[in-house]
Amino acid sequence: MAAGATYEPIATTTLGSNTASVTFSSITGTYTDLIIVANLGSTTTPSVCLQFNSDTGSNYSMGNLYGNGTTASSSRQSNSTQMNFNFVDPGTTVVATAIYQIMNYSNATTYKSVLGRFGNAGTGTQATVGLWRSTAAITSVKLMLDSSGPLLLSGSTFTLYGIAAA
Amino acid sequence: MAINRTSPKKGKVVDIPTAPTIGTATAGGGSASTTFTNSTVGGPYRSYIAKSNPSNITATGSTSPIIVTGLTEGTPYTISIAGVNETGTGEYSSASNSVTPTAAVSYESIATVTLSSSQSNIEFTSIPATFKHLQIRGILKSTVSPADTDYGYFTFNSDTGSNYSYHRFQGNGTTTGSSGTSSGNYGVLGYIVPSTGRTNIFGTFIMDILDYVSTSKIKTAKILSGLDNNGSGIIEFNSASWRDTSAINSIRFISATGNLAQYSSLALYGIKG
Repeated sequence: MAAGATYEPIATTTLGSNTASVTFSSITGTYTDLIIVANLGSTTTPSVCLQFNSDTGSNYSMGNLYGNGTTASSSRQSNSTQMNFNFVDPGTTVVATAIYQIMNYSNATTYKSVLGRFGNAGTGTQATVGLWRSTAAITSVKLMLDSSGPLLLSGSTFTLYGIAAA
Repeated sequence: MAINRTSPKKGKVVDIPTAPTIGTATAGGGSASTTFTNSTVGGPYRSYIAKSNPSNITATGSTSPIIVTGLTEGTPYTISIAGVNETGTGEYSSASNSVTPTAAVSYESIATVTLSSSQSNIEFTSIPATFKHLQIRGILKSTVSPADTDYGYFTFNSDTGSNYSYHRFQGNGTTTGSSGTSSGNYGVLGYIVPSTGRTNIFGTFIMDILDYVSTSKIKTAKILSGLDNNGSGIIEFNSASWRDTSAINSIRFISATGNLAQYSSLALYGIKG
């Protein structure tokens, strides 16, 4: 078995002001998986969501498992217009952490699955599996909030990595 | 620089591309990722080549950004980019901002398998002992139907004795649950079968195997797996152990009750210590 280097940073964004969304676009099909690592907060307490390839149709679904220090819960959303990745309060300072693993994003034969971890030590921790019911290769990812009023906080960071298989 | 306007295609002359407009270079682990704006002249069949200074290390791509790898940690580099078409290579852009790559990556691809047809298992063998930890990432589907009932299993070094134990914590969208075993014949990955008719849906997982070359410790793994079926499915954490102190040199993945379906795809990575 030959080993080859991978896990490449593709792009990084640090918000200089409160912002509605962050988009990584023109993503090449060079890799096998994509990973987004984020350190973020928001002006109020909405959920952080993903959309792919500017698709705003009801093609997203997800299942969540989360705990708030007292109880464990599970919830689900179907036929959503975005992949909602946190039910844990992200907080109004930049303290929340998120890792989104976008699996086999560039194939044209399967729907796309995402494994996500989201946490805020002050409010809780969460794991999520998401599904985008499209066989299209993912070429852009938009991170946004699930309502139009709140904003991602200045100082939030978002880094996109690519992992290539041998 | 002289511009070559000859063309291999009779009756056509294609200008070589003008220099792209350089964007921003960003340092990575032994690499630099550089953005640019396309050339305005030249095409079709256009690609781009990025070149480092010093060392003239190159990489090619069709869109921005281009990542040049093989750069030396701690050495400042600038990157220039030129367009390429059937006529030739155009002039290079101006140099990018200077970037200094960080340490070379410690996360390496070892092998990947994507099934072209259903198969009883996927196995990684002769795993090199040159890493500290292993990670396996993938999508899996079973040929079993219907309905969310099949699991993915794994074994190490072909051991199917009662040497595996695990604890799982999961949510199905409504309730949470936890289960475990102390003497299984396999390790459990999680659910890999979506409901009948959802032909494009695969279960997915990320598995970290810690200190796999140790010959003094039992082997432990942590797994995050999930399957979403737009109305059903599972998200799950799993801590597993293999009560054997042998170094792991092979890993086999199977379906609990069926075969692994076409397009199931697993990739093995090594993480250096």
